[in-house]
Amino acid sequence: MTTNDSNSIRVLIADDDEQILQAYRMAFCDNDATDLIETLGSLEAELFESHADGDDAPRFDVVACSQGCDAVSLVARAAREGRPFDVVILDVRMPPGIDGVEAGSQIRRLDPGVEIVFVTGFSDIPIHELALRVPPPVKLHYFNKPLSFMQLAESVAGMVRAG
Amino acid sequence: MPGRFASLSLQQKVSVTLLAVMAAMVLLSYIVLNTTVAPAFDNLELAAAEKNIVRAKRAIQNDMENLAAIVGDWAPWDDAYAYALGKNPGFEKSNLDIPTMTNLDLDLLLVYDAQGKLLWSYLPYNGETADPDSLEVFDSTHPKFERLVYHTDVTDHTDGLLLTGLGPMLMSSRPIIRSAKEGPIVGTMIMGQFLDSEKRTTLRERTEVSLTWHLLGGALPVDASLRNEIVAAGAGSFVYAATDSNIQAFGLLADLFGEPLMILQADTPRQISALGGSTVNGALMFLSAAGIVVAIVTWLLLRRIIVLPLERLANHITGIRESGDLSLRLNEERADEIGALAGQFDRMTLEVHDARRQLLDQSFKAGKADTAAEVLHNIRNAMTPLINGIDRLSKNFRFAGGLHIQQATEELADPACHPDRRGKLLQYIGSAFGHIQKTSEDAVNDLQVATRQAKQVEAILSDQERFANVAPIIESLELHSIIEEASLVIPNKDKPGIRLDMRPELKGFVIQAHRVGLVQVLGNLILNGYESIQRSQADSGSIDVSASLDEIDGQSVVRVTVRDSGCGFGEELKHKIFQRGFSSKQGHLSGLGLHWCANALAGMGGRVSAESAGPDCGAAFHVLLPGGIDGTRTVEKPSLSGRSTPAVERSGNAAIADFGEVAGGL
Repeated sequence: MTTNDSNSIRVLIADDDEQILQAYRMAFCDNDATDLIETLGSLEAELFESHADGDDAPRFDVVACSQGCDAVSLVARAAREGRPFDVVILDVRMPPGIDGVEAGSQIRRLDPGVEIVFVTGFSDIPIHELALRVPPPVKLHYFNKPLSFMQLAESVAGMVRAG
Repeated sequence: MPGRFASLSLQQKVSVTLLAVMAAMVLLSYIVLNTTVAPAFDNLELAAAEKNIVRAKRAIQNDMENLAAIVGDWAPWDDAYAYALGKNPGFEKSNLDIPTMTNLDLDLLLVYDAQGKLLWSYLPYNGETADPDSLEVFDSTHPKFERLVYHTDVTDHTDGLLLTGLGPMLMSSRPIIRSAKEGPIVGTMIMGQFLDSEKRTTLRERTEVSLTWHLLGGALPVDASLRNEIVAAGAGSFVYAATDSNIQAFGLLADLFGEPLMILQADTPRQISALGGSTVNGALMFLSAAGIVVAIVTWLLLRRIIVLPLERLANHITGIRESGDLSLRLNEERADEIGALAGQFDRMTLEVHDARRQLLDQSFKAGKADTAAEVLHNIRNAMTPLINGIDRLSKNFRFAGGLHIQQATEELADPACHPDRRGKLLQYIGSAFGHIQKTSEDAVNDLQVATRQAKQVEAILSDQERFANVAPIIESLELHSIIEEASLVIPNKDKPGIRLDMRPELKGFVIQAHRVGLVQVLGNLILNGYESIQRSQADSGSIDVSASLDEIDGQSVVRVTVRDSGCGFGEELKHKIFQRGFSSKQGHLSGLGLHWCANALAGMGGRVSAESAGPDCGAAFHVLLPGGIDGTRTVEKPSLSGRSTPAVERSGNAAIADFGEVAGGL
């Protein structure tokens, strides 16, 4: 699934659980809700001089896949097309293919500037080992499930703005 | 054969080998004795036989020399000289009388003059005086007559054996000359002695040799080939023939003309070879007896020093293999190689025992870690959509709660509301209701997701129940080692103030339990006691771990008691301490909890109870496990959880809690 917008944040999400991917989509690319909230926000500001939440909500161009090797291919293709991803969100365990750490390592070689976020329910790989395999540490992020993807989306937007 | 030998036991191999070595030794001794010792005796016997026949020959030679000496004394004598010339007729009467002849042991005396005329003869034979012609050699026509009767030189002489018509004789002939050994030769004097049976007896007595002689022309005691062999060997050699009882040595005797005359036989009894044979047999018997004794002693020593210890080692190994009990020790108190082997095997089994225990620990922990990781991963994944749905619902409802719908509605109801604002208010209300409707639709969707994810969590947990139903590995355990391992949970165990007493009698007990689980249970009880003492604000305290043998429903059980001097508990807590989540640690949970301990012990077929005389009076936890004293290692696993009577007796006013009463469902 791809949502295209020239001003949006390009995000690649890889997770082998379709339910998780659906939750990502709901959090990152519910543009109808965002449009509605923006409309309500502007009317409220005009009619009641109040400031509603979601006025400056970020928009995301999300690409989702379920395997690490697919994520690597998508990053490579995006780089070739001149539309690199801003952020890549990877699950650590994605059987039966390569795991998220290996995928992150390959992605880092393809795109040294991309922000890589690991989100996992459990990982037996220590963070310092992750930092060694997917450098640099400043562009490496780690979150444990369960977490709020809306908060994650805000964090991703913060990463892109800071980067 | 090698395969059959390989299939024998070590003891049989040793026996067979010793028998083979002993038989080989006896056979080798037999060969050596019969090829070296026995022939040496035979050679000695042959040497003795040769010596005998040499002695016999020498005796005959001596007689010959004596006879020659007598003739040599009588022939060169002036009286005999004159007699031969016919000038001393009294010579016969004064010298040639019979007593003189008898004293000289002569059988023959002949005196010839220079012309060969017989002057005097003396030839007694069978008690009568025989005619010299009967000797058949003193006939002038006899080819040997001249050699005997005529001498050309004063030193000339003829000595030797001669076969006469009356038998073989020793005969010596000398020319008759002056006493000054000067000629001319005036005659010949001949003396002789018969080699008859009397002579043979005399020679036998002198030489102590069984001596006989046989004329070549007469009947011989030997066959023709041996006769020819003796004759071919000549007078200087000997020929031997052996019978079972004698060594017969044969020598050839030639006459005074060098012609073969008779065979001399000396019989030597085979005493030496008989002695040699008995010596060899005796030696063989001795060696055989010595071999048997050495074999028996060696067998006994090998059996005692090697075979039996190896059998014990083999039985020990078999026992370990059959029982699987790696705690068994051989404890062979020996300083030799087998002792070292046994010691090495004990150390190896100890290391294997430790390694197996560590492997079990690791497997147990790794299994738990894998299970925990799997469950964590799956539940977190399942929880993620649920949490995000709730999060979105919360955000949407929070946004909806902040909408100004009521205010917009009131403004619309006001007729003074400007039409432009009215239009925007209507647009706002429409958008707000649109948002509420979408929020409602999302809520339905999110609740469906939440329901599905909750079911997924339930499915994940249900899947774990299959592990909960796996029985723990029950093994024979030495109680004291479990207590020592469990006591490691106490931080700063050597710190003064809190003393841990592990009673010596703990070493006598063996229990049937799941090792890792029991270590965790007892470690938890000890740690509870430690923390209870710390909470009691006392300056010092003690944790006492003891054990005793008990019997429940006819089953032998071991009661392990962990008694501390800590805060204890009152009547109000006795029904709570084994409940899930209970902690007396004032706001924080640590350790595995008594509820878990009770469950773990129930899984091992044991149970736990607790008692306390009240707050600040300390507490005691009793763990009952199947087992017994060392040496009675019970292998069956009696379950204690099914008994209906309380496991711990109630005494005084002590508050006693039995997990069977309070934990429920165990």
